[in-house]
Amino acid sequence: MVALHLSGSCHLEDAPRLWTRLGESASPNETITLDLSEVESLDGACAALILAWIREAPARGGRVELVGARAGCAEMLELYGCSDDEACGAAPQLKVGTFDQIGRVTVEILRSTRDVFAFVGDLIANLRKAVLARRSINWRDVPHLMERAGADGAPIVLLINFLVGLIVGLQSAYQLQKFGASVFVADAVGLSMSRELGPLMTAIVVAGRSGAAYAAELGTMRVNQEIDALWTLGLDPHRFLVFPRLVAMTLAVPLLTLGSVIVGILGGLFVAVGVLDLTPLAYLTELESAVGLNDLLGGLLKSAVFAVTITLISCQRGLATRGGAAGVGRSTTSAVVVILFFLVVLDTLFTVTYNFLGI
Amino acid sequence: MERGLAIRVRGLVAGYGREVILQGIDFDVPRGRVFVILGGSGCGKTTLLQHLIGLLDPIAGTIDIDERGAPDLTRGLPGFGVSFQSGALFGSMTLLENVALPLRRWSGLPLPAIDELAAARLRLVGLAGYEHHLPSAVSGGMQKRAGIARALAMEPSMLFLDEPAAGLDPVNAVELDDLLLSLRDRLGVTTVLVTHELPSIFRIADDCIMLDKEAKGIIASGDPKALKTESSDPRVHAFFNRLPRTR
Repeated sequence: MVALHLSGSCHLEDAPRLWTRLGESASPNETITLDLSEVESLDGACAALILAWIREAPARGGRVELVGARAGCAEMLELYGCSDDEACGAAPQLKVGTFDQIGRVTVEILRSTRDVFAFVGDLIANLRKAVLARRSINWRDVPHLMERAGADGAPIVLLINFLVGLIVGLQSAYQLQKFGASVFVADAVGLSMSRELGPLMTAIVVAGRSGAAYAAELGTMRVNQEIDALWTLGLDPHRFLVFPRLVAMTLAVPLLTLGSVIVGILGGLFVAVGVLDLTPLAYLTELESAVGLNDLLGGLLKSAVFAVTITLISCQRGLATRGGAAGVGRSTTSAVVVILFFLVVLDTLFTVTYNFLGI
Repeated sequence: MERGLAIRVRGLVAGYGREVILQGIDFDVPRGRVFVILGGSGCGKTTLLQHLIGLLDPIAGTIDIDERGAPDLTRGLPGFGVSFQSGALFGSMTLLENVALPLRRWSGLPLPAIDELAAARLRLVGLAGYEHHLPSAVSGGMQKRAGIARALAMEPSMLFLDEPAAGLDPVNAVELDDLLLSLRDRLGVTTVLVTHELPSIFRIADDCIMLDKEAKGIIASGDPKALKTESSDPRVHAFFNRLPRTR
């Protein structure tokens, strides 16, 4: 049996010291008597901390007996639930171990994946109904959503892709110069921008802008009960919110990608003319012979698939939001992370498939 | 289902997933009545309402709405109007556009007629002159009233309102009560309300059920005025007489 005595006034400014002392006194498998008879005054913060410490005692295998609280202190303890046996003796939250955490995260990932696939399944089932009742789709929002995803995002997307073209040009220029093959910088920039970097970099920026925005927007609508309101107005959220975004993104992202490929190639031209002393005509002639329509169309197809992926994941994450503002934050972060993962996986699949098909 | 019943609930076990919030819920709501669901915070009032309007599926038991079985929101317009606790207006639309939204989809009216109708609904809840304001530009109480106007947009025979008077000033709260009474008396609209507002309950409720968190079910039902004076249950007595819970 260990006896602890508190004395004097115990207020918020004393709380850190109190918490530390209580923690130090928490020996396992022992009954501790906490004597409050000499405590003159006790405020709510200290009362709550003392009660929390008492509730944690069973987890340490011990027990705490509270004795001698004066009238004022007893009232404060009662206010924070001490008179209620159930509250005082409530089971403490168990600490989560590492393996437990790994298990929980694994289950969460599997559940998220299942939710995304269930969402896609629902959407496909809904697509048939939507085609039969085209008025049920909220077409009015499509132009505005295209403007937000496409035109508003164009400056940053184009700037980044111009710089990427410049970087690819510079990196390859240094290598190609060694072999006297400077003109092939057009091949390196043209092929990498049209087949790979143009679609991927555009999708990454769109995921960060529009994907995050969709998840946050739909998540906020979910926590504000606007999604529930749509159902009760006879409006299916898939048709009212998801389809317009899907259409807008599927149209806007390939257009952005086309622009990205062009500015990326321009970035390469800057390097060719500025660093390698090539003429623009030589660069463009080599580009024409290296990059075919297949390369461009392959990249655009890839970007359309990326657009669908970004929209579906961000909308699913948004619509699955739970738990207020913090939930919206979690959904947005989760949407961007999952999208980036899927983009890289899809890009790999595309590259392998194109190589296999000889495209 | 008996004729004359707007809602019939039998053996309902309500909750989220496997988590049971309420069990053994049985009650009837006759047509053209104002029916109040009341109880302390966290007792499951909104959960019950969400089951009644089809946003949540019962864990067990049956809900029969308007002799058409359980509501299925995936089938289109459900035939009742719902006003949510927060108003749940669409932030990118004006108040008029919010109210006009179901009309655009379901009424088949030309746009000018839809706008006229939506403006009339807003006038009905005292929001004349605010048609072109965004929800963010009006007070919480006004958003709530706009939510009620939207719930009324499609002339529903049944209204479900979650805390409609919370946050309203006394004058607007009384006007809302008058509106609900008027809808009941003139149009025979059945209204199911979740509310804590005792003056409003005593003024407009024909019947009520009282839920309790610990009991996970109904602890009283009937006319609220009679319950206030006649109930011997200390929980009911404490609620209606605004007494603190005994610890």
